[in-house]
Amino acid sequence: MAVIAVALSSAAGGFAYFLPAIQEAYDATNVVDIPSPTPTPLNSIGPTAKPSPRTPGAFTVLLLGSDNDTKFIGDQVLTQSMILVRFNPSTKKVVMLSIPRDLWVPLSVGGIGKIDGAYSYGGAGAAIATVENNFGIHIDAYIWIGLAGLVNVINAIGGIDVVTTAPVFDDFYPYDVGPGNPYRYLRVAVMAGPQHLDGTHALEYVRSRHNDLQSDFGRSARQQQVLLALRAKAAAISAADVPQLAAAMKGQIKTNMSLSRIAALLPLAGSIDIRNIQQVVLLPPYTHGCGCPQGYVVPVWGAILPLVHQYFP
Amino acid sequence: MISRALVAAGLAVLKVVSSVGTYAYLGSRKSKVAAPPQNPTAATPSPTAFNLPGTLFMTQAGAIYSFSAGRFHQVTPLNSGWTQLAPYPGGRLLAVKRSLMYSDVYVLNRLGRVLRKLTNNNVAPRNYDPAARHWSFYPRLSANSKNLFMSYDKPKFGFDVPMSIWSVPLGGTINQGRLWSVAIDYTGGDIQPLPLRSGGLVYTKYSYGPDCSGLESQVWYTAQPEQSYGGGRVCAPPDGGNHGRALTLPNEGCQQPSLSPDGRSMAMICNYRTQVSYLNLASWTGSRLGPRRTVIKNQLVAQPTWAPDGSGIAYLAPSVMGQGFQLWFLPKAAYAPPAPSPVPVPTPTPGGPVNGPVPSPSASPTPAPVVIKPIQMTNDLGLDATSPIVWIP
Repeated sequence: MAVIAVALSSAAGGFAYFLPAIQEAYDATNVVDIPSPTPTPLNSIGPTAKPSPRTPGAFTVLLLGSDNDTKFIGDQVLTQSMILVRFNPSTKKVVMLSIPRDLWVPLSVGGIGKIDGAYSYGGAGAAIATVENNFGIHIDAYIWIGLAGLVNVINAIGGIDVVTTAPVFDDFYPYDVGPGNPYRYLRVAVMAGPQHLDGTHALEYVRSRHNDLQSDFGRSARQQQVLLALRAKAAAISAADVPQLAAAMKGQIKTNMSLSRIAALLPLAGSIDIRNIQQVVLLPPYTHGCGCPQGYVVPVWGAILPLVHQYFP
Repeated sequence: MISRALVAAGLAVLKVVSSVGTYAYLGSRKSKVAAPPQNPTAATPSPTAFNLPGTLFMTQAGAIYSFSAGRFHQVTPLNSGWTQLAPYPGGRLLAVKRSLMYSDVYVLNRLGRVLRKLTNNNVAPRNYDPAARHWSFYPRLSANSKNLFMSYDKPKFGFDVPMSIWSVPLGGTINQGRLWSVAIDYTGGDIQPLPLRSGGLVYTKYSYGPDCSGLESQVWYTAQPEQSYGGGRVCAPPDGGNHGRALTLPNEGCQQPSLSPDGRSMAMICNYRTQVSYLNLASWTGSRLGPRRTVIKNQLVAQPTWAPDGSGIAYLAPSVMGQGFQLWFLPKAAYAPPAPSPVPVPTPTPGGPVNGPVPSPSASPTPAPVVIKPIQMTNDLGLDATSPIVWIP
């Protein structure tokens, strides 16, 4: 009887320890409704993409990042960052492909628009369906993170080491994380070279695009750098860190991934050799500007789809 | 016979102990990833195992620390915005004090007392235009100590805020200053000036490379203030003439040039378009670099700084990726090993020629080369890797 009592109470202690993580996982997990059937593209700009057969074991995650400060109402936010990440556990290879936020595509909810609007019109399901329909790939899961979520996650793991590509100076960086008027500006100065970034400075580094000739493309490359730095840190995280991480993400992360898949991902992410990580940004000739006031980016599907199907078979 | 009440009480205590114990055990199994860096003055173990000559100054969390005789001393208060140190005559320091919207350059004594403010980059509080403020970074004094060289965000054009290298008479204003470098638009600009005794300047220039494909850093040299490119956006500057000259290739990704005390070698870090950095050395003629030699390639190296007595190079790097930058020292023997012993030659035998073959000297076994490794001077700190180290005798 004593043995049973000790076992049960130990389990209770463990349950209490992981309760915040379980609660956060429950809150963050969404059942995603992917619109079906997919609306037919309204004009000829749509790709003729067909989902290709899946590789056993490999899975693809769509990472979404949004400005979700008080300028926005509820979940009606744009996804300024959209990165497709494909893990292949058997080959231990990873591909990261950044989708330009201004890419002009048929949206799964109907009509044509910038791809970053899909989430605001129909949530994660619409964003996933839009990417699947246009790129002809299957997405297994998504993770959405808000501004404060990224800051908190990076702080919760003690910051990241990055070799910044160049100094980042921005006199009109939105000063919208935290209380106060979200329409204010902040002057940002992120130094060049190897350094340790906390969450706030990492966010400044990946979010600023004013002082970059490549604008959103340059920013996408910086976002991939930070993801790689997070991957390096993931190797050092233990299961006992999960409650603290969950508390840091509270309300700032949404996903349809199960806890078991996240648990399987963490050690995998840390074990992958950086040389086995392929980074792709859809710069010209895969895309080109429209030369129009709306400032959207025109996809060159004839170039994009072979590239995508090479890395996302 | 034990009463039921006693058994129940014992079980209750057992349950409380095991549940609380499990909770505490799990808590103790947390990794150290989120552990905050230690204050250098409180860091354990104390870095007394190896003493460096002179005094080193570096920054962590907005505070300046000195390091001498194996001990750290806090020079300025925590979180006061101090960063980017440079030597100033008389054992004093140049330092940047960074605020939310601007930064200024000061002269401090070695105890951290402000002696002089050299720039004035803030504006009246009622001015709500963020662009009216300025940044001064990477201050360095000219060889004759009459001019302050620094990276300064002027000229800037709306969203385009590149840093340019300026020299300003000590005690003068930016209006009396001289623009030394022509920054490439939308790159972040030109940083890390290194004024030379010859009157020339070495610095780090950012550009989009010859094919305009991606941001690259190059160590650059100019003998005189550069001339404008003459209109139109350029991805990469013209190399030569009045526009200065590249000392390194775009794909080397070199920056943070540091000149040896004898002026004959240059240390720099290069990242070769990767997320690691290498410590490279090259000979320096005063205007040209010799071939690069990598002396550290498995660390995230930053801020190489030569010992004033030439005994080695200090630098910052994490001991574990992502866990904060520590102070390291690379002894000179690691990159300039002593010359090998002379090869023995046959000694003529007294007494004239010998019949038969001349004995050749027997080859003594060559001793295995001793690998000199860098010495880690600190543990568990979070030194500011964007702030140069100052090392004074």
